[in-house]
Amino acid sequence: MRLKRISMAVAAGAALGLALSACAPTDAGDGGNGEANGGSADQSIAVSIGPNDFVSYNGFTPESYSTYNSGIVDRMQAGFYNFGTEGEIIPNEDLGSYEMVSEDPMVVEYTISDDAVWSDGTPITVADAVLAWTVQNAKLTSGDSPLFNSVSQDLGDDVPEGPQGDPAGKKFTVEFAEPNPDWEIQVWMLHPAHVVAEQAGMSIEEFVQAARDGDAEALAPAAEFWNTGWHTNPGTLPDEAQVPVSGPYKFGSWEAGQSLTLVPNENYYGEQAANDELVFRFVDQGAMVQALDNGDLDVIAPQPTVDTLSQLEGLGDAVNIHQRDTLTWEHLDFNFVDGALFADNLELRKAFAMCVPRQQIVENLIQPINPEAQVLNAREVFPFQENYEEVVSASYEGQYDEVDIEGAKAIVDEQGAAGTEVRIGYSAPNPRRTDQVAMIKSSCDQAGFKIVDAGNADFFQPGGTQERGDYEVALFAWAGSGQITSGENIYATGKPQNYGEYSNPEVDEAWGRLTTSLDESVHLEETKNIEKLLWDDLFGIPLFAHPGLDASASDIENVEGTATQDQIVWNAHEWHRAE
Amino acid sequence: MLKFIIRRVGAAIGILFGASLLLYVLVINSGDPLEDLRESNAENREYLIQQRIEFMNLDVPWYQRYWDWLAGVGKCFALQCDLGTNRSGVSVDSLLALAASSTLRLVLLATVLALIIGIAIGILTAIRQYSGLDYGVTFATFLFFSLPVFWAAVLLKEYMAIGYNDWLRDPDFTLGQILVIAAIAGFLMQVFLAGSLRRRILTFAVTAVFIGAALPTLLALGYFREPRLGYVGVALLTFAVALSATAMSVGLKTRKVLYPALITAALVSVLQIVLVNVFVYYMNWWIMAAGLALAFVIPWFIGHSMGGRYKGTAAGVSMTTGVVGAGLTVLDHFFRSWPGFLDLKPRPISTIGSQTPNFAGGFWETALDYGTQLILPTILLTVISLASYSRYTRASMLEVSRQDYIRTARSKGLPERTVIFRHAFRNALIPIATIAAFDFAALIGGAVITETVFGWKGMGELFITGLDQVDPAPVMAFFLVTGTAAILFNLLADIFYAILDPRIRV
Repeated sequence: MRLKRISMAVAAGAALGLALSACAPTDAGDGGNGEANGGSADQSIAVSIGPNDFVSYNGFTPESYSTYNSGIVDRMQAGFYNFGTEGEIIPNEDLGSYEMVSEDPMVVEYTISDDAVWSDGTPITVADAVLAWTVQNAKLTSGDSPLFNSVSQDLGDDVPEGPQGDPAGKKFTVEFAEPNPDWEIQVWMLHPAHVVAEQAGMSIEEFVQAARDGDAEALAPAAEFWNTGWHTNPGTLPDEAQVPVSGPYKFGSWEAGQSLTLVPNENYYGEQAANDELVFRFVDQGAMVQALDNGDLDVIAPQPTVDTLSQLEGLGDAVNIHQRDTLTWEHLDFNFVDGALFADNLELRKAFAMCVPRQQIVENLIQPINPEAQVLNAREVFPFQENYEEVVSASYEGQYDEVDIEGAKAIVDEQGAAGTEVRIGYSAPNPRRTDQVAMIKSSCDQAGFKIVDAGNADFFQPGGTQERGDYEVALFAWAGSGQITSGENIYATGKPQNYGEYSNPEVDEAWGRLTTSLDESVHLEETKNIEKLLWDDLFGIPLFAHPGLDASASDIENVEGTATQDQIVWNAHEWHRAE
Repeated sequence: MLKFIIRRVGAAIGILFGASLLLYVLVINSGDPLEDLRESNAENREYLIQQRIEFMNLDVPWYQRYWDWLAGVGKCFALQCDLGTNRSGVSVDSLLALAASSTLRLVLLATVLALIIGIAIGILTAIRQYSGLDYGVTFATFLFFSLPVFWAAVLLKEYMAIGYNDWLRDPDFTLGQILVIAAIAGFLMQVFLAGSLRRRILTFAVTAVFIGAALPTLLALGYFREPRLGYVGVALLTFAVALSATAMSVGLKTRKVLYPALITAALVSVLQIVLVNVFVYYMNWWIMAAGLALAFVIPWFIGHSMGGRYKGTAAGVSMTTGVVGAGLTVLDHFFRSWPGFLDLKPRPISTIGSQTPNFAGGFWETALDYGTQLILPTILLTVISLASYSRYTRASMLEVSRQDYIRTARSKGLPERTVIFRHAFRNALIPIATIAAFDFAALIGGAVITETVFGWKGMGELFITGLDQVDPAPVMAFFLVTGTAAILFNLLADIFYAILDPRIRV
């Protein structure tokens, strides 16, 4: 009975609804609702480099310093140099120029462009360089810790006097205490000195004077502001007057956890950004490809895996895929700690190197992501850099290109090491490294080694496997930073990153010569020399450069991958949506 | 009762304290907080490690770190919570506020929907035990229940976001698609309405023909890009609701109920035209909430004063009419804003985020934006939690229906609806209350994957990032909220028991 009534009601309602839809007014949106003005800008480009929220305008403190935060603040802060896509140093002539005027003592002269101004109109001056130097001056202390809580602390020692010149002027010189091959990539421009001085209740002159005098007490309020003043709660940008920028973009808006929008700095003295709005969205890597497909994102930096690549390829012409090698490289390092299996046994190291299937590892694990990947035969230079061939041909004879099980087996037998356990340690979980160890095992076990997968979660932890020395070979990666001298920390005796405690006086001397010379030909010669020593001595075995994978919607022009840690956004100001 | 509550709260604080200590120790021992720095070869790596050790107090013993955290939490009693900072130096208090608000938005709606739909399905399947509907719905809910969330999310995005957006660019159906949709709709309709074979065939035919005619008509009218009801549509539908609600409750002959319902419908029809400027120009959430309250109160008053001896029913029917009518008016305005919204956001359903960045629309467009961003995660969360509610309700209903007092109620000659809702359902609700309480607490923390794949920064994200970075402050903040919620909701469930079931005395 009631059922009948329900069905009738439903049927009647439905019929009515359908009939009515025909006679409803056709002018959709009655006046006020139609205030749609074409919506967000056509040249709004959305990019995601990861799920991490923005932290702070001051991305130069250890807490806020991360590739995600730098990806954003680097768009707003101009420096005297930029890295090119292959890690080469390119002077930023918009901000100014520099040249070395004397080698010994080493003096560099910087000239800031006359038209270079902060976004609030204040000229960029020597005072700003003094601020950049001051925050990196570890000689200024408060109690036990540095006064300025900055990621970099060595400019105070390297350049004891700081930038010399009229604080209100555009020219300054810096004198290095010792010749420094990495002089070009020192940071001389960070934040606006006039804002810091004002917040500290000082005049710019007072600030510069206190900084040059090393007067920690007078600088305390400035340090207080620099350390914390720009750190705001998520979603709240600092007052616009406090965050003038020197780069092509400035803050637009910030929706905590969701997005941060940069808009062009109309007072930028270089070429204006080619888009109207750059929206950084904080998206999990796994969700990026579909978001690109749906147009929610225009440029993405997803996880470089075979699965991601095949998903992207499935999108066809709608996306451009950017594949390339990066400056992060994977390697096997021997343990040279006293008593370790390989420590005093070059022959056995050779045998191990002969049986590691490097070509197979690259073909099976890396080339599916980057078809141009090749086996890495050097440590300080990469295949995509111009002097790679030269360095490799001078240092390495190709003796470990092909797997030589027989040769390895002969050495192992001769050394009486058949059946010896070789623990390959790495920080787990890491599926790709697990696969590599499995491949090494299937090859090297034939040569008489007994490979053990010693990957575990606490490999690099304090008191963990690496520190205890409970491994024969370590498998991990170094992230290259573009510095010339950073390798010394890895290969020279007693240095902090020399985990395996390798020691070779010749290598130490070569590094000594390299780090104190400013001559590029000396750098090249010593690099060849060091590479040869490390190959002959078998410090370890380089495997491959990590593949990089980015993607962009096909209507966005000028997107280009980079090997450096600047990530895909390195040239975001040039991105442009095709009309 | 008060003593009981105080005792329970006391025990709860003890449990929270013990659990927080345990969790803190587990978190700080769950990994290496310096892991990302160890493989870095930045030249200032040692310094960075040192700074982080200092910043996160990694060099002090665990009990001291715990004590520092506890002391900060203790300040909550003075209303000055200090939950510490995360690894990047961001205050966890503000992170927690953001995370909690976005998770609540996500979880509240999904839980309420799951509860309503799940219980409705449970009752329906219990009444039609062992029917095709019962088996079909049981199969479907279990299928949803066992879906891996991340996979289901990818499918939803693929078809309901990307696929729908592509389709919406130029909405079209092929003849085959129309036939298939019509057949499916007809089939589902006859399953739900049931009855004799003849009735089923009739239902199927009517529904299929209706859908088959409706889809091409809507396409021809461009309804999917420019939907509309119009004043007349809203008015007629509201009157239809008034009539059918009256018919379903007491029958159209009962004038004491019919008249207030019709008056309410007339009022709605007039107000939607009179207030059109308020809707278009001045609308905000406060007016919306006040309007909803009035949509309850005014019809109640009309029904109550005119209903005579039917005043309860009359008030109910009038309120139904009033609220549905108001809802239709709101829907109409959403429809009117849809074309403008599509101009602002050409691909309306997005796969990530809780709102569109820098969205420039007015009230209706912004509300549509929130809604379209919310729709996929809500569907996902609702669908996966349907199974437990519907199955528990079904089992509980079946058990209650076999009780003596139900037979007594039936033999008294009470209408079936009264038997089911007043006698059976009320008692069947008791176990559901427990599950719902637990579920809500669990959902706050349990939407981790949903939040991650849809790019919402909620509680789950707070927890997982904190754990990943071996950063105790965010994890503990998460624990404080979910732990407190679990205990609070259990307490509420216990009190709710006492209200539902007079046998329970505390």
